[in-house]
Amino acid sequence: MVKNITIFTTNTCAYCVMVKKYLGSKNMTYEEVNLDDQPERQAEAFKLSGALTVPVTLITKDDDTQDVVVGYNLSKLASAIA
Amino acid sequence: MGTKKEIHDVVMIGAGPAALSAAIYTTREDIDTVLFEKGVIGGLAAVTAWVDNYPGFIKGVAGLELSDSLQKQAERFGADIRLGEVTKIEIDGKLKKLTTSEGDIYAKAVLIATGSDYRKLGIPGEETFYGKGVHYCATCDGAFYREKKLVVVGGGNSAVQESIFLTKFATHIDLLVRGDSMRASEILQHELAKHKDKITVHMNTVTNEIVGENGKVVKVLAKNVKTGKIISYKTDGVFVFIGLIPNTQFLKDSKIELDNIGMIKTKSNMETSMDGVFAAGDVRSGATMQIASATGEGATAALMIRKYMDPHASTGY
Ligand SMILES: Cc1cc2nc3c(=O)[nH]c(=O)nc-3n(C[C@H](O)[C@H](O)[C@H](O)COP(=O)(O)OP(=O)(O)OC[C@H]3O[C@@H](n4cnc5c(N)ncnc54)[C@H](O)[C@@H]3O)c2cc1C
Repeated sequence: MVKNITIFTTNTCAYCVMVKKYLGSKNMTYEEVNLDDQPERQAEAFKLSGALTVPVTLITKDDDTQDVVVGYNLSKLASAIA
Repeated sequence: MGTKKEIHDVVMIGAGPAALSAAIYTTREDIDTVLFEKGVIGGLAAVTAWVDNYPGFIKGVAGLELSDSLQKQAERFGADIRLGEVTKIEIDGKLKKLTTSEGDIYAKAVLIATGSDYRKLGIPGEETFYGKGVHYCATCDGAFYREKKLVVVGGGNSAVQESIFLTKFATHIDLLVRGDSMRASEILQHELAKHKDKITVHMNTVTNEIVGENGKVVKVLAKNVKTGKIISYKTDGVFVFIGLIPNTQFLKDSKIELDNIGMIKTKSNMETSMDGVFAAGDVRSGATMQIASATGEGATAALMIRKYMDPHASTGY
């Protein structure tokens, strides 16, 4: 089971909107970290993803294992929240 | 015992401006319509920072806002937009069978509005640093280059428009243009000139290699084809806008006829070589690759689909 989800986004990123829409359609709640508002957290997103891109979605499970999905990747998102 | 087939009046492949506009028309006429979108609802319009030339917006409109409105308008009349990819299309009796990531689905008529994807440079370093210094979407990844130097490759409208957007973040941009003139429109070149403190244009410059050190992009090597000299541009990242390739790979083995660059050929009623399968927008051979044309083609295709489904229907109002 999913314990919590954090999505790193920016204001203009359309793929971020899609991740939020997808999680919303699955009735999942998430915390959003907007890197335009909080640029100091960019390093955190980079550390998780190894990439200079958003969205980065961090999924923490009940057993504290974590999955990181870089970009809008439907099949990876689906298996990470399954 | 087989499970019951899922059959709809129309299935549209893609949910960019062309398909969303078509869906506004079909659903408003109570034609049951399902759209499949493998990427972003709103298509390339959604990832474009600012759209200045779509009619009806005096000051222009953010791409994301425009696509959100198109989606909501289509959904208001009952368009069923699903997240998934269509991988095959074939004739099945009087119906069209579509194979999708979400299972098979059947339709009386189909609209292909799959648009196009970013063209890659195909040079050393591009794959290695994909998403880690090499990017194709300024609205997605530009924010990572606050106070950094950038190289942008391309000389068309997108390259100029997105370079201007990237000046919000980057301290300086080297814009590398292959030819000896820019393909971007006059008005955009005019805008570009206003940013000459931040954007330096290099003509006749062919990008050869993206070079990194310790996992980070540090420079781009390019050749000035006039002088033959290799020039090194120091940079923290590269954005590539060198045109588009049509999203028609999934039609390779189908009976749908493509032109020599892979765009879908249509008759004057927007129908492809496959009966009851129509095409509109950027993916259609002869398209003018604009949001306004895509929405217009979407509307036309919808009326033609209505006519196909009911030959007595008129194609106008
Ligand atoms: C950087 C940039 C800036 C631009 N700026 C402007 C501008 O200022 N003004 C303007 O008028 N135009 C602009 N354009 C062009 C404009 O975005 C396109 O002309 C328009 O989006 C085309 O609409 P479309 O619906 O035909 O295709 P698209 O917008 O490309 O939409 C097609 C959709 O189909 C989906 N798809 C593809 N294959 C499949 C499949 N097999 N299954 C399911 N879904 C699939 C794709 O994911 C995509 O979302 C710009 C383009 C770019 C790249």
